Amino acid sequence: MDSVYLDHAATTPMREEVRAAMAPFLGERFGNPSSAHRWGREAAAALEDARAAVASALSARPSEIHFVRGGTESDNLAVAGRVAWSRGEGATGDVVVSEVEHKAVLEAASQATARGAGRLVELGVSSDGALDLDALDRALENGPAVVSLMWVNNETGMVLPVPEAARRAEAAGVPLHTDAVQAVGKIPVRVDEHPVALLTATGHKISGPKGTGILFVRAGTGVRPLVHGGGQERGLRPGTEDVAGAVGFAEALRLAVEEREIEAVRLEGLRGRLEVGLRDRISDLRVNAGDAPRAPHVTSVGIGGVDAQALLAALDLEGIAASGGSACSSGSTAASHVISALYGGEDAFATVRFSLGRTTTAPDVERAVEVTPRVVDRLRAVRARR
Amino acid sequence: MSRVLVAMSGGVDSSVAAALLAEEGHEVVGVTMKTFCYSEVPGHGKTCCGLDGIADAKRVADALGISHYVFDVEEEFTRDVIDDFVSEYALGRTPNPCVRCNANTKFRDLLERGRMLGCDAIASGHYVRMRHAEHGSALLRGLDGDKDQAYFLWGLPREMLPLLRFPVGALTKAEVRERARALSLATAEKPESQEICFVPTGDYRDLMRKELGPAHPALQPGRLVDREGHVVGEHVGYAGFTVGQRRGLGGGFSEPMYVLEIRPERREVVVGTLDQLFSDTVEVSELNWLAEPPKGGAAVRVQLRYRAPDVPARVAESDDGLRLELDEPHRAVTPGQSAVVFDGERVLGGGRIANASSRRTTRIPPSAFARRP
Repeated sequence: MDSVYLDHAATTPMREEVRAAMAPFLGERFGNPSSAHRWGREAAAALEDARAAVASALSARPSEIHFVRGGTESDNLAVAGRVAWSRGEGATGDVVVSEVEHKAVLEAASQATARGAGRLVELGVSSDGALDLDALDRALENGPAVVSLMWVNNETGMVLPVPEAARRAEAAGVPLHTDAVQAVGKIPVRVDEHPVALLTATGHKISGPKGTGILFVRAGTGVRPLVHGGGQERGLRPGTEDVAGAVGFAEALRLAVEEREIEAVRLEGLRGRLEVGLRDRISDLRVNAGDAPRAPHVTSVGIGGVDAQALLAALDLEGIAASGGSACSSGSTAASHVISALYGGEDAFATVRFSLGRTTTAPDVERAVEVTPRVVDRLRAVRARR
Repeated sequence: MSRVLVAMSGGVDSSVAAALLAEEGHEVVGVTMKTFCYSEVPGHGKTCCGLDGIADAKRVADALGISHYVFDVEEEFTRDVIDDFVSEYALGRTPNPCVRCNANTKFRDLLERGRMLGCDAIASGHYVRMRHAEHGSALLRGLDGDKDQAYFLWGLPREMLPLLRFPVGALTKAEVRERARALSLATAEKPESQEICFVPTGDYRDLMRKELGPAHPALQPGRLVDREGHVVGEHVGYAGFTVGQRRGLGGGFSEPMYVLEIRPERREVVVGTLDQLFSDTVEVSELNWLAEPPKGGAAVRVQLRYRAPDVPARVAESDDGLRLELDEPHRAVTPGQSAVVFDGERVLGGGRIANASSRRTTRIPPSAFARRP
């Protein structure tokens, strides 16, 4: 049976170029960048080359790029590290987020505000992608430690108005962090054009290695480390560096940014065919956040009258890998906070997220368009027997 | 070859059930049901339906090269099993949550989800057997008398029987472990799960306190009385007692004392001697039949507790509820437990025990309750 992987927002297959770039550092060039000998120098040079490449891809300065061990860690460092730093500066410990943030931000913010006795302010987002900017302005008046606003929502592909929010935050003297995990390589992400102070990216969503990522920290933005040790990564992320991971991340990012424009057009075309095909063949179907500006690789559809867990299982049995929103620890699916925020908690639609990527082809999409309606019909027929 | 849905708990029995079906050439689809919120029980991994169970089931499925899915039935499980468990104890009965789960949650959900996934059959790792014939399907006891689980399955929807497969029911536990070892399954040496899966502390009264609040009458002290109503002592809360229990009665009686009955409306626990613990008439409600119901006067065999042997009985009434007259008095027949009716090794059906009584009355002298000086 042909298998079709349409879950690129969960993770992506690593590119051959990335694997090749990493290989020497998993082999003979094993040195510790902090060592003073030849092995160390080699590793340090590779690490700094990687940093420069990342900086260039994001239009940042190399000194602003900090390698960390993944997107969740980067989000936590930005939010909790920023709150910790603010405590010493007499600012409030408030954190402002949108209600559709990734759990890495929401949980970090909720922990950090609970510890620092600050408030967690959640900004509403509507299904057309509008952020409650008045609420943002009101929240900014209280001098929060940080505003954290994702650039592209992982469950729906919705693009949030990060540039506008960043301008308002900057005017209020509050740093804005953006979780750009689903944005880099999909929409233009340049830190020289928008006053974002902190930015998170991860390797495995852009055909790079898992467990890799960066936190961009604009010069002058104070953040405290969450782990302590030998002072690597300018003291923000101590611990012997993952040189291979940094090299792999940099190569993946370089390629993703380089190919972004052409790839975005291709993905948008494929996604359009998928959405039209599903709409034509499935009644009672809604494209979640369909009226919002969206990144080109995600479509989240709500389907009435079916059981979401059974639908995903049935699709998998037909060789189609999709997801219910975001991956959950047990592999189970629960009601998503994002869909609840956009459509209310009593929303009766089952959510399926199809996400496309580099390896997705037109036949993949055709197959999903052929199989999904058939599976939905079967599920609806079983439910009708009740 | 057909597509078979297998309920995989992450234990060795269901692992081997899946393996046997795969060996037979079926397309096996493994499913683990997530039944309650594990995050509230830090570090808990003992029972087979916890997150560890899910992870183990996934490992086994991967080793067998079969699909595996997790279905979240927490809401249904809480409503149909946990809430019922708590309210039964509050009513002074001793519930059997596994029976309830199989009947109301697990197999019904498997049936519906199985149809949604295009499956032709539903299987689990229970130690029971099916006999499928043209004129109908019969549920039989498992071959391993020590492990037989027929007692837990009388509540299944009858129309489901033709779809059921229980591959380990024809094996002994030792054979099941042997198969698991031979296949190097990750669950081969996994210990048996003993406790009720949603009572990880092992003390269901913790759950009662959480669900009902510590002020609930079932958790308040009350009187121990004898059959005639004389107060013979105190207890710490009737929810902690089941018929036949000796523990928690305070001791010091001149004869060993047992719980005979729980009277929730008066918060009383009735105690008496071993003699009084026997009853021979059982009223059964909430009946479910997996075969033609036996007619009034029919001789059947009935099992009244898990692991108890079945005993001969006569069907006395068969219209609304069911009254069973046991040939011999039976010890500790307990309201809330199941009465499962057998014809030989075949499960005919069953119900919840509503009441137990004796056709003869045993009178014992008041001196039995006298506390030893």
